Amino acid sequence: MSVSQAAADFPRLAYRRARARAGWGLAVLAFVLVAAPLLDILGLVAARGASAISPRLFTTVTNGISGGLLNAIVGTFVLSGGALVLGVPVGVGAGIYLAEFGSGPFGTVVRFLSDVLTGVPSIVLGYFSYITMVIGLGWQFSALAGAITLALMIVPYIARLTELSLRQLPVSLRESAYALGAPAHTVVFRIVFPIATPGVLTGVLLALAISVGETAPLIYTAGWSNYLWNGRLTHEPIGYLTYVVWSFINQPFASAHALAFAAAFLVVLVVLAINIAARLFLLGHRAV
Amino acid sequence: MRTSLFRTGLIGLTGIIPGILFAVIIFLALYSWPAIRFNGAGFLIRQMWSLGNLYANPVTIGATEVPIGAHYGILVFIVGTLATSALALLIAVPVSIGVAIFLAEGAPPRLRPLLSLIVDLLAVVPSVVYGLWGIAVLAPLVAHVIAPALGAVLGFIPFFAGGSPTGFGLLSSSLVLTLMVVPIITTTIYSALQQVLAPDKEAAYALGAMKLEMAVGVMLPAVRGSIIGAAILGLGRALGETMAVLMVSGGAINYLPTTITSPISTMASFIVSQLDSAEQDPTGMAVRSLAEIALVLFVITIVVNGIARMITRGLHVSLAGRG
Amino acid sequence: MQKEAREMLLRRTVLLGAAGGAAASALALVSRTALAANITLLETGSTLLYPLFNLWVPKYTAKNPGVRITTTSSGSGTGIAQAISGVAQIGASDAYMSDPQMKRNPDILNIPLAISAQTVNYNVPGLNKTNLKFSGPVLAGIYSGKITRWDDPAIAKLNPGVSLPTRVITPVHRTDGSGDTFIFSQYLAFSTPAWAKSVGYGTTISWPPVHGGIGAIGNPGMVEASGHTPFSIAYIGVSFHAQVAEAGLGTALLENRAGNFVLPTPKTVGAAAAAIEAKTPPDERISLIFAPGADSYPIINYEYAIVSTKQANPHVAAVLRDFLSWAVGPEGGNAPEFLDAVRFLPLPAKIAALSKQQIAKIR
Repeated sequence: MSVSQAAADFPRLAYRRARARAGWGLAVLAFVLVAAPLLDILGLVAARGASAISPRLFTTVTNGISGGLLNAIVGTFVLSGGALVLGVPVGVGAGIYLAEFGSGPFGTVVRFLSDVLTGVPSIVLGYFSYITMVIGLGWQFSALAGAITLALMIVPYIARLTELSLRQLPVSLRESAYALGAPAHTVVFRIVFPIATPGVLTGVLLALAISVGETAPLIYTAGWSNYLWNGRLTHEPIGYLTYVVWSFINQPFASAHALAFAAAFLVVLVVLAINIAARLFLLGHRAV
Repeated sequence: MRTSLFRTGLIGLTGIIPGILFAVIIFLALYSWPAIRFNGAGFLIRQMWSLGNLYANPVTIGATEVPIGAHYGILVFIVGTLATSALALLIAVPVSIGVAIFLAEGAPPRLRPLLSLIVDLLAVVPSVVYGLWGIAVLAPLVAHVIAPALGAVLGFIPFFAGGSPTGFGLLSSSLVLTLMVVPIITTTIYSALQQVLAPDKEAAYALGAMKLEMAVGVMLPAVRGSIIGAAILGLGRALGETMAVLMVSGGAINYLPTTITSPISTMASFIVSQLDSAEQDPTGMAVRSLAEIALVLFVITIVVNGIARMITRGLHVSLAGRG
Repeated sequence: MQKEAREMLLRRTVLLGAAGGAAASALALVSRTALAANITLLETGSTLLYPLFNLWVPKYTAKNPGVRITTTSSGSGTGIAQAISGVAQIGASDAYMSDPQMKRNPDILNIPLAISAQTVNYNVPGLNKTNLKFSGPVLAGIYSGKITRWDDPAIAKLNPGVSLPTRVITPVHRTDGSGDTFIFSQYLAFSTPAWAKSVGYGTTISWPPVHGGIGAIGNPGMVEASGHTPFSIAYIGVSFHAQVAEAGLGTALLENRAGNFVLPTPKTVGAAAAAIEAKTPPDERISLIFAPGADSYPIINYEYAIVSTKQANPHVAAVLRDFLSWAVGPEGGNAPEFLDAVRFLPLPAKIAALSKQQIAKIR
């Protein structure tokens, strides 16, 4: 349909305009339906946690039902950081393979199994780690068991999201590089990866968000500690924010509830901070 | 030589994923083997689940020691899992596409980073917080507004009739799952939409397409693969989610849902809710049966993924044929 | 599985402990002074006991700076399992271990720490200020779907003169494994033979399908679900009294074994505890549910510490003994300053003495 034809055909144009307006209306409505619950949740969390937010939260450890959350904040960074250190190389590596060389049967099978792995309930991975690492290897509740469990959870997400973002790039880009005689690793790291970085980063951040928000698998692997992490990877339980959210809400004290919501607020804040930092880093990188 | 080293390295990293999966499957299979033998195929089609009397001396049935009255059937949880995930995806996929198009083409460019951050944040909210919000806000909303409205409009279909006194159940669980799945699907589609090449878009405009017509007619088909991949990822999250669903599902046991607001239980949430008591079973059969549920969930995930792939392959072919 | 794991764990910890022990005994004698050495205890289990441990630990560790105690809320079953496997030193449980479990794990102690109770609450607009009366058989009827409306003759008979609405009852139960389900279902089982035969009791039970009935998570989940749902009924741990009041729920008068209807007060809970006191065996595994006596409140229980007699090393054992002895003492953990906040009652003197005898076995 050409412009002149449309202009001549007024009722048809009016119909198309109405259709477009309705379409945008639906798109905006979809966004509102998604954004409204989030704002409501954040409002709820902020309102109920506000009374517990104070500098002490960041300077002292949990003491019974009061005190601060320093141990949990540090623990969340350690566990999520550990999960990323373990999970990103594997996930991104697998994602690159699937996108660049994964058209054969091996790639198809891995892609399929990776999607199956995302459907494994986190508690099953937690119990798996509990039996194999906490008890089997005798690590007891520990940062390592917790971080590995989280890594198991996030690897398939990182792999598939990396793959999807690499695949989105036009084939011509790769073909021209290969035509110039560039080896595969050069094509991947110099050509494809830099362009796909925002997408890959989005995937990693999404996986991080998922790992920071988990409770169930960590109760069986990281345990929980009221004290600051002492740096031991095994034989020492470690705290984390979502534990506070889950178990402090189940106590009959108002101070515990405030602390629980403050912890929930912090979880969101921590990931938000990482998100924004990563985006700024990316912007800076692009400018250069 | 370096090329092959590079590829070998990638294959090594990639191989870790099936490695993890097989380790977990073998662990579950070995661990649940006594339960598989004891429960037989009826495990999948029985509606009743009972840990039995954990405080009396166990009895020996066949060669297996189990608590008196122990009876493991998971049909209710299979149905709950499939129903919540299907309903959640049914809502989440169109919503995500709408949001992604809005973000990519509709929203003012300067606002886009902020708006897409809002969507990302949905993934950050801990699942327990979704549960708390579900209990405090969503369930009452379903009970007093959404369920009555659905009943008034679609009440002639029995599935939508009946209302819900509590709001805890299938619909609330699916809505919570929808919120948890939307960021995964939206983010993936949105970042794919951003990669659509300008010449393709310009070609559509040159033909006189409006912005939305261009987005729907050119951009969406271009990112079809990403939409499908994202939906499958979202499906995985929905099938495996535990805490949030547990808190708003109404924890149905021993009966099947009859309406969209009936209480349900999903397999993942049921495992969490029973694990603590199961650990008190001196024969260990309860925990092993829970491991068997996890194994069945694996099989279901594999089957559902397979079906999703078959459908989408058909879609690819038909779209290609049309194009 | 658990036993093997535990042995493996023991072997490892014994090695570690031997090394640590040698170092520690070079510094101090194994006695009260050993508490000054750095010892970490892990407590995990019951969500109902968790708040009390959270009140205890800061006070106790302030007095014993060398001791660190981590408290974890994971569920009674998990507490028992992890005390058996040796991952945790103290497993907190609302329920005592069963006979078959004891047979497999003879080294495990069930040590009562305090007494808790449970209320049955309802949300019937207009009647929440009246204390409606319920009996075990009526509650069993409601939770098995035989009594479906508030004006059912069985409820009306217990509450003469009250105008009950013709509304469908929504029974709310716990979905997660819970000591509250254990003691509630035990009350139904002990008072209603039909319930004992068809459903029985446990921390999780196979709830009969009741149209409109729902499951909720945790005591706060029970309060919220019941508070948002008119014409519902729920059972809630007495620690959550303030939340129940805030939600405006009614509290039921429950029929005891003597046929009287009672509320949980220090007097009625104490009467029930006193009635069972003499019957409590040395291993202290006994139910306090549906106790005899005119004033006895029917749903109370001992809250237990599940502890292995065989600890990794003598220092850990010494700290455990000291902490638990302090916890059950009327000047220590059983003082009103701790128990009042969670509305628990102290152990009777004779029971505290039995607990101390058991604590002395920890080595």
